[in-house]
Amino acid sequence: MTTLPRVLGRARPPSLASAPEDRPSLASAPEGGPRGVAILPIVLFLAAAIVLLAFPSFVSKPYVLHMGVMLFLAVIQGQAWNVIGGYTGQYSVGHAAYFGVGAYVTMMLLEISKIPPWWGIWAAMAASLVLSAIIGSITFRLRGPYFVLASISVAEIIRLAALHFKGFTRGAEGFLLSEIPTLHLFGSEIVFVGKRPFYYAGLALAVATIAANWAVQHSKLGYYFQAIREDQDAAHSLGINLSLYKNVALAISAAFTAFAGGFYAMFVKFIDPNIVFGLDVSVQIVLIAIIGGIGTILGPVIGAMVLVPLSEILRNPRGLVQIGVLAPDSSVVGFIEQYLSNAHLLVYGILVVVVILFAPEGVLGVIRRLLARSRRRAAARAAGAPASA
Amino acid sequence: MAMLEIRSVSKFFGGLAANSDVSFSMDAGMIMGLIGPNGAGKTTLFNCITGYYPPSKGDVIFKGTRLNGLQPDHVCRLGMVRTWQKVRPLAKMSVVDNVMVGALVRTSSLRVAREVAHEQLKIVRMDARLDFLAGGLPIGERKKLEIARALATKPEMLLLDEVMGGLNTGEKEEIIQLILDLKKRGFTQVVIEHDMKAIMRVSDRIVVLNSGEKLTEGTPREVADDPEVIAAYLGERVEG
Amino acid sequence: MTVFLQSVLSGILVGGVYALIGIGLTIIFGVMRVINFAHGELLMLGMYATWYVFTKTGVDPYVALLATVPLLFLWGAFLQQAFINRVLNALPQNQILLTIGLGLIMSNSMMLAFTSDYRILTTSYSSSSFDVLGLSVSQPLLYSFLITAAITAALFWFLQSTDTGQAIRATAQDRDAAQLMGINVSWTSILSFGIGSALAGAAGALIAPTYYIYPQVGGAFTLKAFVIVVLGGMGSIVGATLGGLIIGVTESLSAIYVASGLKELVVFVLFLGLLLFKPSGLLGKSRA
Repeated sequence: MTTLPRVLGRARPPSLASAPEDRPSLASAPEGGPRGVAILPIVLFLAAAIVLLAFPSFVSKPYVLHMGVMLFLAVIQGQAWNVIGGYTGQYSVGHAAYFGVGAYVTMMLLEISKIPPWWGIWAAMAASLVLSAIIGSITFRLRGPYFVLASISVAEIIRLAALHFKGFTRGAEGFLLSEIPTLHLFGSEIVFVGKRPFYYAGLALAVATIAANWAVQHSKLGYYFQAIREDQDAAHSLGINLSLYKNVALAISAAFTAFAGGFYAMFVKFIDPNIVFGLDVSVQIVLIAIIGGIGTILGPVIGAMVLVPLSEILRNPRGLVQIGVLAPDSSVVGFIEQYLSNAHLLVYGILVVVVILFAPEGVLGVIRRLLARSRRRAAARAAGAPASA
Repeated sequence: MAMLEIRSVSKFFGGLAANSDVSFSMDAGMIMGLIGPNGAGKTTLFNCITGYYPPSKGDVIFKGTRLNGLQPDHVCRLGMVRTWQKVRPLAKMSVVDNVMVGALVRTSSLRVAREVAHEQLKIVRMDARLDFLAGGLPIGERKKLEIARALATKPEMLLLDEVMGGLNTGEKEEIIQLILDLKKRGFTQVVIEHDMKAIMRVSDRIVVLNSGEKLTEGTPREVADDPEVIAAYLGERVEG
Repeated sequence: MTVFLQSVLSGILVGGVYALIGIGLTIIFGVMRVINFAHGELLMLGMYATWYVFTKTGVDPYVALLATVPLLFLWGAFLQQAFINRVLNALPQNQILLTIGLGLIMSNSMMLAFTSDYRILTTSYSSSSFDVLGLSVSQPLLYSFLITAAITAALFWFLQSTDTGQAIRATAQDRDAAQLMGINVSWTSILSFGIGSALAGAAGALIAPTYYIYPQVGGAFTLKAFVIVVLGGMGSIVGATLGGLIIGVTESLSAIYVASGLKELVVFVLFLGLLLFKPSGLLGKSRA
């Protein structure tokens, strides 16, 4: 038995033997803390955007395009929430408030005042900014679970009010979109019929949201948001006006969420208070970011890529038949339709439980961990020493 | 005009007086030591001065401005910054990003902030640690990071809360030299410290707090010879 | 005046059940410091269990308590052991998300099992009432209030007078100290979550004859439970009891004097006001 330590000692140089945990760990580069400008992510991002731009020319099945639109929508929602929840660390579970206001303002301006959505959506954003200032001034005085509860309550108040004041919102009856006017843009006409125009619009909005988010994170704002997340008191002592910057973060988040809401209303063409103001909406928005990995640009994208296809397939398995993945008489389709289509939120539930228990840093965190491990293994192999966990 | 003037500051929590009627005044460029047994109200006084809570009574005057009721961020922008006894690194941000957060109070340019951060980290000799996560640093480096981050806000006045606590002799010596260097560069400093030798070396004057009240004030020599101080400290020595 | 008294009375009757829901949540919070966002879903399970037993066997919903309460106790104990236990030291937001996820799983599973149709459990006395001094007292509400009172009294006795109850209270006061005193904290936690869950289930069974039963019914009750618990002071059982009654009366008064569609809105507005001005609750000590 006495020989064992010596053998180990020979296999591993003493300097390495002192447990690696003692050594400070390197900050994970481009996203944890923005240092300089990494070229590779931008190139990849643009490449992805171009591929997605060309995508409908090759695959034009409505089901696929529909899923694409829902994906873009989820990306916008997740990115938007990430600003306040991920970077600034304020877990709002009331984002349905902004989403719903975006949807309602856009819809009502179109249906009642005949203002086209590409103007109305700016009004929706403005409304959400006002709302965020009010909500922020109330909720940011609270911390931790109290903040979460307050954010939920505010959204619920708005939902209940929207249900009740029928003269203004039509209550539970909701709004059915009649027609989106034709958009004249650079001399060409864009008719919002079918999925394709929404696909492009959604793509553009998602790209814009990601770019805006990236810009925010690589600015003074981004540093301040993260400092607030890490330690409010320390941030305060370093000259950061906590309530100002929390409100700025919420305003940015609210504006993009409202944008998503307006876009959603135009795309699905029907809204009512429970659909757009419901607690489910708030929870789904949080889950997109959580499941992907919070506080990163890539996280909500991954979260959306995991959640949206799953829930869309469960909601409408016929789509899989449409694109030829499944045969029309496939028993899978029947099974999903019969049992799962009403319960697509079940997947959200299972996913969030699994993520919190086994991967609290989200899917992105798992990928990073695996990459880091294989890199360490490779390094260890290169050094001629056996890999150690 | 005094740089900092504390006028009869009291702080009550419920019925308990954490500070009562503390007064002292300091000129630009001096180092004031602040000592006293645990629970004497040293950190409470820092909190009152830097805006974490308003004093219940009395005034804090910094460069002629009354600070009472100002928020900590405002105090920081006026040129006074504190460090924390229990260090508060922004754990999931890198060392350089931590210091940049401090620098950003004076600029909106990340490039400028990064330059400032590199400069300050060089001063505390942590320029080899730029990209390490702040949360993973050993205690000695965390303390130095606190100082670098505070310096990055371009203060005139520093309030250092036990920056040598938990350090070994070599590290302490390094911090002492740093404090003396900062004095040479014109910074005004209040230093809370438990290590008597260290505080005697760096301080121009020392204020002794006991049970929230100011026991005495004087040069290090005077304080060391004060029988009341010795009594107060003997009480603590016996325990610890 | 009669209208006022009538609405206070029915508010108190409903408030009793609210108190039960609140007590369950507050015990869980007190012992584990976890905010259970699936609390309403536990209540929903209680409703379904009662409805199922009633439609299959015709057993009276209040008798069915004898089955639903132990069932929900076991389910709660299982949730604690399998899930909640693993996040006791995690960030509060992760705990919240975990319980939200569990809630989604429960409500959507019920949807799979029983569809999202609204179910009604009609007993022979569902719409009967007594006349007392010119006020009408709904029979099912009265019965449920009496049972609630009995359960609450039993619970108080249990927590005050038994060793296990004292262990629970000690753990709620200071988890680490309790552990040092030799209290089996993990067992206490399981027990507490079980009790909290059983109380929610009992509340579900008690309101089953007077509410629509559907998979999403829980959400509204979860929120209501928070209001009740924050109102009374997080972790305080007496506070939750009072909070339940207050919310019951507030709802029923605002249904009459504000608008019936706005009673919940009024509650949330009050809740926000409370969070802002006295987050420690009515009975809690105010923080500096």
